[in-house]
Amino acid sequence: MTITQDLAVDAVTPEPDDAPSGRRRRAGGGLGRYLLVRFLLIFPTVLILVTVVFVLMRATGDPITAALGGRLPADQLATRIHAAGYDRPLLTQYLEFLSGIARGDFGTTISDHRPVTQVLVTYGTATLELALYALLVAFLVGIPLGRIAAARRDKAPDAALRVSAILAYATPVFFAGMILKLVFAVWLPILPVAGRATTRSTLEMKTQGANTGIYLVDAISTGNWAIVGDVLQHAVLPSLALGLLTAGVFLRLVRTNMIGTLQTGYVEAARSRGVSERRLVRTHAWRPALVPIITVIGLQIAMLLGGAVLTETTFEWKGLGFQLVQYLLARDFVAVQGMVALLAVIVAVTNFVVDVIAALVDPRIRY
Amino acid sequence: MTSATLRRTTAITAGLAATALLLAACGNGNGGSDATGTAGAGGDSLTIGTTDKITTIDPAGSYDNGSFAVMNQVYPFLLNTPYGSPDVEPDIAVSAEFTSPTEYTVKLKPGLKFANGHALTSSDVKFTFDRQLTILANGADGGNGPASLLYNLESTDAPDDTTVVFHLKSENDQVFPQNLSSPAGPIVDEEVFAADALTPDDEIVAAKPFAGPYTITSYTLNELVSYEANPEYQGLYGAPKSKTVTVQYFADSSNLKLSVQQGEVDVAFRSLSATDIDDLRGDDNVKVVDGPGGEIRYIVFNFDTQPFGATTADADASKALAVRQAVADLIDRTAIADQVYKGTYTPLYSYVPAGLTGATESLKGLYGDGKGGPDAGKAKAALADAGVSTPVTLNLQYSNDHYGPSSADEYALIKDQLESSGLFTVNLQTTEWTQYSKDRTTDVYPVYQLGWFPDYSDADNYLTPFFLEENFLGNHYVNQDVNDLILKQATTTDAGERTALIEKIQDTVAADLSTVPYLQGAQVAVVGKDVQGAQDTLDASFKFRYGALSKG
Repeated sequence: MTITQDLAVDAVTPEPDDAPSGRRRRAGGGLGRYLLVRFLLIFPTVLILVTVVFVLMRATGDPITAALGGRLPADQLATRIHAAGYDRPLLTQYLEFLSGIARGDFGTTISDHRPVTQVLVTYGTATLELALYALLVAFLVGIPLGRIAAARRDKAPDAALRVSAILAYATPVFFAGMILKLVFAVWLPILPVAGRATTRSTLEMKTQGANTGIYLVDAISTGNWAIVGDVLQHAVLPSLALGLLTAGVFLRLVRTNMIGTLQTGYVEAARSRGVSERRLVRTHAWRPALVPIITVIGLQIAMLLGGAVLTETTFEWKGLGFQLVQYLLARDFVAVQGMVALLAVIVAVTNFVVDVIAALVDPRIRY
Repeated sequence: MTSATLRRTTAITAGLAATALLLAACGNGNGGSDATGTAGAGGDSLTIGTTDKITTIDPAGSYDNGSFAVMNQVYPFLLNTPYGSPDVEPDIAVSAEFTSPTEYTVKLKPGLKFANGHALTSSDVKFTFDRQLTILANGADGGNGPASLLYNLESTDAPDDTTVVFHLKSENDQVFPQNLSSPAGPIVDEEVFAADALTPDDEIVAAKPFAGPYTITSYTLNELVSYEANPEYQGLYGAPKSKTVTVQYFADSSNLKLSVQQGEVDVAFRSLSATDIDDLRGDDNVKVVDGPGGEIRYIVFNFDTQPFGATTADADASKALAVRQAVADLIDRTAIADQVYKGTYTPLYSYVPAGLTGATESLKGLYGDGKGGPDAGKAKAALADAGVSTPVTLNLQYSNDHYGPSSADEYALIKDQLESSGLFTVNLQTTEWTQYSKDRTTDVYPVYQLGWFPDYSDADNYLTPFFLEENFLGNHYVNQDVNDLILKQATTTDAGERTALIEKIQDTVAADLSTVPYLQGAQVAVVGKDVQGAQDTLDASFKFRYGALSKG
């Protein structure tokens, strides 16, 4: 993980002499063409991802046998396999799987007989909420601390922050979660152990018809600030556990980019013209240092979704990651296949969006 | 960076951290308390935490503890078990009796209603049992349904609104009344449920086809289920002591433990780990309530493939028996119960567990030191008398994922107990459950672990499935005397005579040692100091009835 992150940092770190030219260098096409190509690339990417998911899932046999094998008589098992079409040629099943995805139909879970799309909608909002909280933590913690580390380069605060950053993204998220629970929920205890809200708050939100699935929105819509506080309290530890992982990456990224930018020729020129150090940092070094963060967010979304599986399980945050584990334990491969395919689509689309934003705001992007 | 900028950045960061802590502190010092300012549910309400899983609340579609726990609260039964007893009595019925050897007639209470206002008549009862058999036959339950329990039911008639006649395949089936209180027994509303397919949970909850002690007011699968006392309930248990009950579903038992410690849930029932329960016994904020449990653990011998088994190269029935006897002599049940399960399981010396009518500790006097402890000398003598050379190699299998995380410790200890005598060399092997369940019935495992949780609280449920010739163990154990006795007890109407038969069956099987039972699970609930009633429902019916619980 450390190596991957360092590579990510290096990949977006501008060379000291790579100053913005103020004019885009075009290499065979305009922005429209660039965005079109990026958009079209989503489809083969998603196709490859869902194909890998399908092949991996089916490499272990058919989903009915995986879920019910050993519990059903052989004849009933065969009947159900036939009824579900799992005894047909694999290519036929694959094409049907793709066709279903294209129509938004990911199948029906075997263990609790729910449409996978319903599962995705129900629990996806919880994961989205957690991912947003985690990103917020990452921004609020990683960026200011990265700025401090850069300003105090090679001094004690810098060293301490760099070590903290490495610890943050090298610590497995479930371990960080357990430590946070131990300290804030068991030893002190000032924060809840698990869940997204107390039962009373959850019921109150349901009673009042607040059912967007994003608890903070639901809580606010009840107009009861005690419920809002309760929901936020429940969000603190999972958000920290997941967000600190990314915060560590952001911290190192901002630090590296700020230091790099402060050494560039245009900053030196500005300095020699008597521009104040404060203005140099705020106007010339700070904003360019933030641009690579946009690119890294694309990578971090995938990491956040992976981390959400562990964070949600640790804190019983009943989102996609939590449900994915439950369906894995139930050997419900239809559900797992649908959820993993959706996550793959989310990552592909997010990366496209990030590419678009980066192209629009980063003058160093060539297209 | 100027010092002013740095100070501002530092201040912002510190401010954010302070905000998070303030947010935490804005609570009342207990993160688990509810947002409306009252801890737990309070007053007429109660919050229960569990790690159970619901498959579906359609009675034809599930046969598991988590789903049955919901059904016990919301559906009516013709017969049910009163608090403190394993034996069934009329629930929404006024009478239930054999009117001929193959006819069991139940008279319903008049004026019964579901919570949705629909009348509950004998037509609903007929629909319920016809539906169970239809769904079993068409496979719509996906193999998860309980209708196999109705193996002796031929058909059901409803001659008038309050009379139900069950036509049975075999005569005087004494187990059939118990089946009416089992997972196959919840009565459903024919105007709500599909006749030949499962009805989705959301449709069930919306239609309120409930006539049990509670109705469901809010339902999120395996997250939160909220119950409210059903004023239409006319059954055995009377009005529930708590008007509303909310059940929160946990995935992790350690979270459940912390939640009950912090008062976020008032009751934790199923399944805290043995270590957690042991720890909670020393916590002054909660009470640990123990009750008899129906779960048993036992070692199965495959009579064909065990050492000296019928299909082995050195087949010898007397030597095979000696091997089984030596194992029974060496197992130290108390050590397993205490060291591995911290007292959440108790030593088991009978085939029918303690608490049920007919339980008798047949193995206690026959094996070991005669007082429940192991005896290596006796084991050595058994093997020597049969001419068995030692050490005997035993390939012992256990499941690493089906009976909880302690199975590895449990079987490591059993291996140690067997090997420390010098009489056995144990090859301990483990397999994940799906494969395990196939292998064990195809003679792959000579000696292996199994557990059993009862379908209904009758001794027959610990005998018929195991020791009739065609049994689910498939371990090739056949004893015609045992066969005859099992069939006889199942149709003996005199209670005393039937109990004597059940005891005799256990004595006979104990001599043959088809299996060696060694642990009986206890039911354990952890409740807040102000919660009463858990002791009343933790009985040998193995049904946790929320109506018995109250708070304050």
